[in-house]
Amino acid sequence: MFETRRLSSKVILQVILTIMVLPFLFPLIAMVQESLSGQGWGNYKAVWATGVVPRFFLNSTIIALGVIIIVYCLTMLAAFGFSKLHVRWKEVFFWMMLAALTMPEVVLLTPLFSTAVHLGLYNTYASVMLPLAALQIPFAVLLTRNFVNSIPDELFDAARVDGANAALIFWKIIVPLTRPIAAAIIILTLIAAWNDYLLPLVFLQTPSTQTITLLPSFFVSEFSDDQTKVVASAVITAIPEVIAYLCLQRLFERGLTAGALK
Amino acid sequence: MSSAGTGTTVSRTRQSETAAGHLGPKGRRRGPRRPPGLPWILPAFVFVVGLIYYCIGYTGYISTLNWDGVSPNPKHVGFANYTQAFHDPVFWDTIRHTVIFFIVTFTVQTALGFTFAALLHSKVKLPNLYKVIIFIPVVLAPATMAPIFRQIFSANGQFNAILSDIGLGSLAHPWLAQSSTALPVIMAITVWEWTGVTFILYFAAMTQIDKEILEAARIDGANGVKVLTRIVWPNVRGTTIALAMLSVIGALKTFDVPYLVSLGGPNYATEFLGTLIYRVSIPQAEVGYGAALSILLLILSLVGALAFGLRGTRRN
Repeated sequence: MFETRRLSSKVILQVILTIMVLPFLFPLIAMVQESLSGQGWGNYKAVWATGVVPRFFLNSTIIALGVIIIVYCLTMLAAFGFSKLHVRWKEVFFWMMLAALTMPEVVLLTPLFSTAVHLGLYNTYASVMLPLAALQIPFAVLLTRNFVNSIPDELFDAARVDGANAALIFWKIIVPLTRPIAAAIIILTLIAAWNDYLLPLVFLQTPSTQTITLLPSFFVSEFSDDQTKVVASAVITAIPEVIAYLCLQRLFERGLTAGALK
Repeated sequence: MSSAGTGTTVSRTRQSETAAGHLGPKGRRRGPRRPPGLPWILPAFVFVVGLIYYCIGYTGYISTLNWDGVSPNPKHVGFANYTQAFHDPVFWDTIRHTVIFFIVTFTVQTALGFTFAALLHSKVKLPNLYKVIIFIPVVLAPATMAPIFRQIFSANGQFNAILSDIGLGSLAHPWLAQSSTALPVIMAITVWEWTGVTFILYFAAMTQIDKEILEAARIDGANGVKVLTRIVWPNVRGTTIALAMLSVIGALKTFDVPYLVSLGGPNYATEFLGTLIYRVSIPQAEVGYGAALSILLLILSLVGALAFGLRGTRRN
C-alpha cells in the first residue's frame, strides 16, 4: 500500500513494522524464558514425569476429532439441502439455526449441567463434544451453503437427467467439490474445540477425561508454589499448536477469511 | 473466532436469495423439480435447534426459580431474579466493563490490524515472519497463555522489569492487583490474542482492491497516508463492520481471560457477564439468579448482532 522507492523510506517502514510486532513476540519469549528459569530443563522433566501430559493430549484429540466429524457430516448434508434441494420454509429453518451463532457458551451451562448429570453423561467426552458441535454447526452451514450456492445448477440438472438420485449427487458432486470450504471448516472447528476452556472446566472432572486447556490449572494444584513448572506445562501444550499452524499456515489463514470474503 | 466475518456473509446470503433467478412469479422453479431436501437438513437442524433452544427454554424456566441446582423442591419466584439483577451493582459493573472493553479492544485491534495489513502489503522484507508472529496468538488457547500473562504483569514480573530498563521504573506496580489497572491488562491481553484475526481479514480485503485505482491515485500525487485514508479505508468498510459485530459478540462472551488471569477481581474490577454467570451458577450455586443473568446476556447478544448485522446489510 505504501509506495517505497527510496531506500530510506523502505528502512523506515521495516523499522516501524518491527517495533510494532515486538509486543506480539514478547509474551512468547517471556514464556520460554520463564519455563527454563530455576531448574532449567528440569522443569520440563518434572512436568513430563507426572505422566499425565499424554493423557490430556489424547483427550483433547479425541474431543476435537469427534467434534470435527459431527460438524463435517451434519454441515455437508444440511448445506446441500439448504442450497440445492426443495425445502418448504427453508429460510425459517435457516434463520432459526443462524440465531444460535450468537449464543454464548455460558448461557448453556446450567441446563447442560443438569441434563448431563441426568443422562449420566457428566465427566464424559460427549458432554463437551455435543454442545461444542452444536455451537459450531450454524456458522459452518452458513459458509458451506454460500459455497454450494456458487456451484452451477446445470451440473445438478444434468446429473438428474442422467438418472442420479440426491444421494448419488451428494456423494459424487457435493463431497468432492466442497473440499476447499471443508478444509476451512475443519480448521475453524479444530481451533474452537482444541482451545475451548469453559465446557471442559465444568464437565470434565478427572484427569482421565480432561483436556489440555485444563493442564495449567492441573499443575497449579500439583506444583502449588512453582510457577515455572506451570509455565513449562503451558509451553508443552503450545508447541503442537504452533507446529500445526506453521505446517498448515495457508489453511489456517484461509479458514479465518472464508466467511468474510468471496 | 468461529463466526469470523458473519456480517458480510449473512447479508450476501440474503441478497443471493432474493436476486437468484430460480423462483418464477409463482414461486415455481424452471427446469426439473428439485428433490425434497428436508431429510438432508433435519439432522443438523434437530441437533442444533434441539440442543440450543432446549437449553434456552430450560434456562428461561430456571430463571424464575429460587434454586441451588440440586434441591428437589425449587421455589417459584417469578421475576424476582431479574429484579435482583437490576439492583445488583456488580451486574451494572459488568455491563460497564463490557462496553469499555468493546470500545477499546475494537479500536486498538482495528488500528493495529489495519496498519499491519497495509505495511505487509508494502513490499517489506520477510513478510511471512511478521505474519506468523502476529497470527500465532490466535492459534494459542487463552487458557495456555494465562499463566505467563499472570507472571508478566505481577509485581516482580517481566513488564515491570522492562519499565525499569527503559527508565520508567517509577511506573512499576502490581498491575493485576490494582482495580484501576487490572481491566486495561485484560484488554491488552485480548488485543494481543485477536489482532491476528483483524490483520488477516484486512490483509485479505486489501488484496481485492483494484490496483489501478491505487495507481491512478498515486499518479495524481496522493501520498501513502492519503491513499490509505481516502481509498483503502473506505474499500474495506465491509470488513470493518463485520469485525465490529464480531467484537460485540466477543466482548459479551468474554470469559477465559478475565477468569484465568484475574478471576474477575480485584474487587470485581474485571468481572464480565460470563465470569459473573459462572461464579453465581457454579461455585455459589445460585442457579436461578445465574439463569436470569444468562437470559439477559442472550438478549444483549442478539440485539448486538442484529444491530450490526442490519447495518451491514443496509450498506451493501
